[in-house]
Amino acid sequence: MLSKLLAHPAFESPTKRLAMKYFAVALVLFGAQLLFGLLAAIQFLWPDFLFNLLDFSINRMVHINAMVVWMLYAMIGSVYYLLPDETGHEAAGLKLGELVFWILTLAVAVVVLVYLFVQVGPGKDSTIWLITEGREYIEAPRWADIGIVAVVLVFYYNVLGAYLKAERKTGIMTVLVADLLALAGLYLAGMFYTDNISMDQYYWWWVIHLWVEATWEVFVGAIAAWALIKIVGAKRRIVEMWLWIEVLMLFGSGILGLGHHYFWIGTPEYWWEIGALFSSLEPVPLVAMFVHVLYDWGKEQGRTQALENRSAIRNAPAMAWVSINAFGNFLGAGIWGFFHTLPQVNIYTHGTQFTAAHGHLAFFGAYAAILIAMMYLAIQGAAGIRIMRMTALSKWSIALLVFGIMGMTVALTIMGYEQTLVERAELGGGWQAYFTAQNLPWYVQAQGWRLAMGVVTFIGFVLLFVDLLTIGNRQHEERQHEMEPAPAAA
Amino acid sequence: MSQHDPSVWSSTSFWRRSAAWVTGFSAILLIFLTFDTMSQIQMGSDEDLKTGKVRRVPAPTVINHAIEYKMSRKRGHEVPVIGEEQPFFGKIWSPEDARALLHKGKVTVQAKNCMDCHTLLGNGAYYAPDLTKAWLDPAWQKGGLMQTLTRTHSTEEAMAKFLMDPPKYATHTRRMPNLGITRDEAVAIVAFLKHMSAIDTNGFPRNFSKPHQGEVTYAK
Amino acid sequence: MIIQKCTDVSCDNIFAWLNQGPLTLTITLHLIILVPMVWIYLQEKRKLQHRPPEES
Ligand code: HEC
Ligand code: HEM
Ligand code: HEM
Ligand SMILES: [Fe+2]
Repeated sequence: MLSKLLAHPAFESPTKRLAMKYFAVALVLFGAQLLFGLLAAIQFLWPDFLFNLLDFSINRMVHINAMVVWMLYAMIGSVYYLLPDETGHEAAGLKLGELVFWILTLAVAVVVLVYLFVQVGPGKDSTIWLITEGREYIEAPRWADIGIVAVVLVFYYNVLGAYLKAERKTGIMTVLVADLLALAGLYLAGMFYTDNISMDQYYWWWVIHLWVEATWEVFVGAIAAWALIKIVGAKRRIVEMWLWIEVLMLFGSGILGLGHHYFWIGTPEYWWEIGALFSSLEPVPLVAMFVHVLYDWGKEQGRTQALENRSAIRNAPAMAWVSINAFGNFLGAGIWGFFHTLPQVNIYTHGTQFTAAHGHLAFFGAYAAILIAMMYLAIQGAAGIRIMRMTALSKWSIALLVFGIMGMTVALTIMGYEQTLVERAELGGGWQAYFTAQNLPWYVQAQGWRLAMGVVTFIGFVLLFVDLLTIGNRQHEERQHEMEPAPAAA
Repeated sequence: MSQHDPSVWSSTSFWRRSAAWVTGFSAILLIFLTFDTMSQIQMGSDEDLKTGKVRRVPAPTVINHAIEYKMSRKRGHEVPVIGEEQPFFGKIWSPEDARALLHKGKVTVQAKNCMDCHTLLGNGAYYAPDLTKAWLDPAWQKGGLMQTLTRTHSTEEAMAKFLMDPPKYATHTRRMPNLGITRDEAVAIVAFLKHMSAIDTNGFPRNFSKPHQGEVTYAK
Repeated sequence: MIIQKCTDVSCDNIFAWLNQGPLTLTITLHLIILVPMVWIYLQEKRKLQHRPPEES
């Protein structure tokens, strides 16, 4: 099924064909992410489910690792997809790019199989090299780390090569080339081992925070700028000026905003202030990005409506997902992030389900949404569709995914409040305090709702999956059909 | 001089240069902060423990001492207080042995992926209790539930026994699975947990396991 | 009571020293990041004034 999508004849650029492969794997891993999330969520309610067979830790690890990896795949896919358009050149080393795609995919498969069937190792250094590093999000063993670095180097060479050959260096490409270098470099901060857990966590946050609240956000800024040009014909001059403002604000607040993770890990008290104030400014660029999308959309819509009497939107599902991204980023990262970013609040919310509420909405809103938009854009290009319309499936998948994620977020937020008040504020956060809070009806009910909303999310995903696989060919054929009587219309 | 008054605010070049400056300078500040923080969270030495010099992250030999978590008037929150020498698994560990033990403990904690169920220093997963101050939890102390359950007479023995076969000593329906932890690994993990409880976390978790016992009482 | 003495474990470093009460450290850092933008602004202004207005 996937190959039908990949080998579409309308697709002449080999770099774009490679991009489609990355998108395809991303989509499969997205599905795996949700399945393992469901298993973990079931275990909260029925702890005996798969006990000592596929424990919570394993399901959770696969859940969040699949997420990180599918997003990285889709990010690579997005860059390969826009590269020929932005630079006028194909990727510099396509054969190599093709090869490392297969190597990476094989490596991911091996890592997952080891997670599932070996699970844990003895307390020796060899476990860190071969089985797992046991550090949230970057659990992949060291051999895989090294492989990932090699793959990323090839990817970067491909991007940089095309960029350097381009006669006109666009703002979008300049930002991307610089940002990807920082993004890849930061991964190195997560690759070493130390006995000192405070230092361990200090650098672990360099990877996690400086990814999601700095380099990934800038990546999204650049991709969204490109998507707006493609979808509604936004003016490059305006979009790229916005992009630089976003870079300024995102890095200006996000780099030192890192301090909001250094309140309680053994680091000095001066981080309270630095973390609080810089991270409080992080929502500002997210508001700006939201305003920017609405502004460009409204402006182009008004113009094309007046001049050509048609909608400005050339890809309706992609535009919907870009809008979900703009708002979801603001809501999940901006609002839910700000909720718990002051140390006075964070001392009680730190490491509760509140964090999970924020994590879910932020990752979905900020990253899943924009990457889904890119998939729709890529399929439009692959199938050679001039104007992509929503199908019933596109609409239903949007409705269910958004409703499901919001439902999970609300449920997790309720659990988080309850934990914060009962476990932390009232009972002081010990073992007994923890379970007292876990067993109160409000918490248990909310866990039930989270699972129910997780199922809704999953159904939404299935519809999305089917839509992405079929929309291209369907609308392509429809168009052929419409075109036949009057081929001159092209 | 030309008469027109162009707006810099709509100049791409202004924003590009500002973005480069702000990004670059923030990164430099972060590097300076990192140098300072690193010097403060470096593990202390055995010497520091003997002379009573307070370190944010103490030497591995802190396992040879009693540890408490007490309100500090000066700091405005609780801090770990390192007390008298106290044998750990029946002996006083040399700096080398303590370091090796802590290393094994940390590696095992990673190898068994404790952080995908528990939080350490508040980071990780939310399926099981935070382990930052687990060593100090009332359940593990003399007269606490776990020493009774495991039929042991010290915190370290109780913890080690629990870790080697958690389902056997389960106290809740949400159980910790058996992770194949050997006796050596269990001893090392307990050293890691004890060491972690001596890290100065700026008062997290607040009021650890000390529910308000003052004016308000709750009906059962 | 706005200015308080540093009470941290270590107070003999530049950042603890700048941290003399609510927000002093973070305001200082914000300022040294943002103030140089004035200079960039003025430079860009001069550059634009010496160039004919852009066609739109
Ligand atoms: C699959 C999830 C899971 C994993 C992995 C796991 N634990 Fe646990 N752990 C639990 C649960 C659930 C409890 C609560 C057990 C109970 O109350 O009966 C618990 C309880 C504990 C306790 C007692 C609670 C306290 O506050 O003192 C300690 C200590 C502990 N675990 C340490 C560890 C260590 C060390 C590791 C890694 C080697 C680990 N756990 C891995 C789930 C897990
Ligand atoms: C798209 C952007 C963002 C994403 C994807 C994101 C995601 C996450 C995730 C997954 C965690 C949990 C990490 C863990 O496993 O321990 C987290 C923690 C946190 N985030 Fe964000 N975040 C984003 C933006 C923000 C912003 C803008 C703020 C603040 C304004 C913020 C504030 C926080 C804080 C304070 C924590 C620590 C929670 C704790 O103490 O447990 N985040 N974030
Ligand atoms: C089917 C829907 C989903 C279910 C049932 C689900 C369930 C879970 C569960 C049970 C956890 C562990 C939380 C804990 O430690 O207590 C978790 C963590 C996490 N999930 Fe999901 N999830 C789902 C979808 C998603 C989606 C769509 C995303 C993002 C795009 C996501 C991102 C995350 C992240 C970032 C974490 C780590 C949070 C943290 O450490 O704070 N999940 N999820
Ligand atoms: Fe953060």
